[in-house]
Amino acid sequence: MTDTIEQQQEAEPTPAPTSVLLEPKGLAKSLAICASGWLLPGVSHFLLGRWGRGLMFAMAVLAMFLFGVAMHGRLYDFSPEQPLHIFAFLANAGIGLPYILAQRMGWGVGMLSSPNYDYGNTYLWVAGLLNYLIVLDAFDIAQGRKP
Amino acid sequence: MNLSHFEALALFGLLVSIVFALINKTSLKEQLKYGSLVFLSFLAVAFVVAWLMFPFPT
Repeated sequence: MTDTIEQQQEAEPTPAPTSVLLEPKGLAKSLAICASGWLLPGVSHFLLGRWGRGLMFAMAVLAMFLFGVAMHGRLYDFSPEQPLHIFAFLANAGIGLPYILAQRMGWGVGMLSSPNYDYGNTYLWVAGLLNYLIVLDAFDIAQGRKP
Repeated sequence: MNLSHFEALALFGLLVSIVFALINKTSLKEQLKYGSLVFLSFLAVAFVVAWLMFPFPT
């Protein structure tokens, strides 16, 4: 009888490993993890032990950002005199440190004559907005709300 | 770097699908399924919108 049960257990396929819920971290620690994820995409997931997801997030978001720069998209500054540009700035700034570095290096000036200018802008905005989503995902993981 | 409209759309859809799949699903199988669905939806909607806009003058 015991042998039969063991044989049945061996025959059953083992479920694929899935992430488990973490113990909820304190609010300050969760916010610090989120801040690191905003500065460097994917880092918040590395800090939470989600290495694979963090790496994929970092690659996808940074690739989108670099493609946006390569397509001559524009990185918007904070300019209160042009209120509609604030939304573009907030979207761009979502990528964190790469935005600051690109500004310092003179990238993201935006070339209106380029046929891909509008696509480049969209890539740069969406890269930042996706990073905000990734940071919120890390916050949920840190708070033990999702695996 | 100059991409055609379709190339830019496909690349955009691919990168967004990866992020959406990883955020919304936990197991690898679900992620692949959901990511593929989102990516194909991007392409399908683009084709439908392009088809609807075809009669309009450029």
